Amino acid sequence: MAVTLVVSGVGKDYLIPIIESVSFSVNAGEFVCLLGPNGCGKTTLLRIIGGIEPATRGSVTLGGQPVVGDGRHDRRLGVVFQEDRLLPWMTLRENVALVLKPLGMTAPERLAMADRHLVLAGLRGFEGYYPSRVSGGMRQRAAIARALAIEPELLLMDEPFGSLDAQNRRIMQKEVRRIWEQTGRTILFVTHAIEEAVAIGTTLIMLSARPSRIRETIRNDGAVDRAKLIDDLNVMIMEEVERQQGGSTT
Amino acid sequence: MPSLRARDWAARLHLPTLGALAVVVTVWWLLSLRYGAYVLPSPRAVLAGLGSVLASGEVWWHTGASLYRIGVGFGGAVVLALLMGLAAFLSPLARGVVQDFLAILNSTSVFVWIVISLIWFGLSNWAPIFTTFMITLPVVASNIVEGVANVDRRLLEMGDVYRLSGREKFTAIVVPSTLPYLVAGMKVGFGLALKVSVVAEIFGVTTGIGYIMNYSREILATHMVFVWALVMILVMTAADKIVFDGLSRRMARWR
Repeated sequence: MAVTLVVSGVGKDYLIPIIESVSFSVNAGEFVCLLGPNGCGKTTLLRIIGGIEPATRGSVTLGGQPVVGDGRHDRRLGVVFQEDRLLPWMTLRENVALVLKPLGMTAPERLAMADRHLVLAGLRGFEGYYPSRVSGGMRQRAAIARALAIEPELLLMDEPFGSLDAQNRRIMQKEVRRIWEQTGRTILFVTHAIEEAVAIGTTLIMLSARPSRIRETIRNDGAVDRAKLIDDLNVMIMEEVERQQGGSTT
Repeated sequence: MPSLRARDWAARLHLPTLGALAVVVTVWWLLSLRYGAYVLPSPRAVLAGLGSVLASGEVWWHTGASLYRIGVGFGGAVVLALLMGLAAFLSPLARGVVQDFLAILNSTSVFVWIVISLIWFGLSNWAPIFTTFMITLPVVASNIVEGVANVDRRLLEMGDVYRLSGREKFTAIVVPSTLPYLVAGMKVGFGLALKVSVVAEIFGVTTGIGYIMNYSREILATHMVFVWALVMILVMTAADKIVFDGLSRRMARWR
């Protein structure tokens, strides 16, 4: 499989170092989950990879092209944020069609494309609804449809189900897995929930406490014992949480 | 359920308000008996006066003249306010300058503009137009600038991620989120425009509701002063109910 995303030596300092140095690469079609204790810089790392904010050091390339942190880039990158970030004054269809404008499609093409991806995300029949008229889970589905509609080289998801209740969360985890199997997109998924990562990811990357590095990279295919994997990851994350707290009190 | 329906109708017709109004009119009528037509004309005289200006068409002549001046002054203020909003969107530096200027304009008295416009424009249409413009500009513009400043940054970031151009972000994100601020500002601004332009019409022009009210006072026709005050109230209410409520409803369709 071809390598598509290469993260090499990426670090970020605000007032203190948040991310020390992180390097990994992702093959096309992989579903990578980025795990780690709260506050270890998972979201920051995702934003750097998405070119939303610059790294202090290191580099990110996507399909061989460097990702620059000033928001001006010409690669196709879908992002699903923690919040849906839909425009409340546009219908779900219009929301998805909007992000297709820079791709140079005609208006009918954009709408057809939007409808196709809304159906893929399980929103058939809701295309003409305003976001305020549908549930939180459905709004996140629309945000996923929007990210997929641009046919991204890489789909970044930043704890997208954090605001959903437990039941909706499980449903959406299954849905994301189904959409991944159906589309074969490359996904980088940030979460702090171990069960979630084990349920959906093919590769799990565990970050250490702040300033973070990669603690462990685990392949999660059919061969592993999931219950044991969850236990191991829980032990790891508790160690990192303790180290982070210990570090901040000294 | 007839009782619920009756209450519903009572609310829609503002029945309690009408009841209170009946009391006020009755008191007014009793007082008018005591003080006479010069100080307080009777409700019946005012109603008759309203009928006569409606019948002669005089009401349209003066209301039209006032609305024309408001249209030019207030319309100009809205256009400039929109440009200020655009500048505030494009540059944070411009936003600061605009906000400071608006703060200064906001604390300037109506009378300052009336006197200055009389000096600059003399006895012409431009005196009330300029006064209206200067008074409504800060109200409308500060609303728009506040709206632009309150645009959700997370939505703009989403626009950046999906590589929307500045223009696409402006029309898809900034304009719709600023629109409620614009309508609120215009609503307040229009009310202010009507009140202010009428004051400015006392000086120097020979048409308009302000002029005719002052003229009525000079010829001791106090009941006509009340008639024109009533016309003003009706114009204001009509604008509120028809134009601004309609706009607000249209904007709220996605809520």
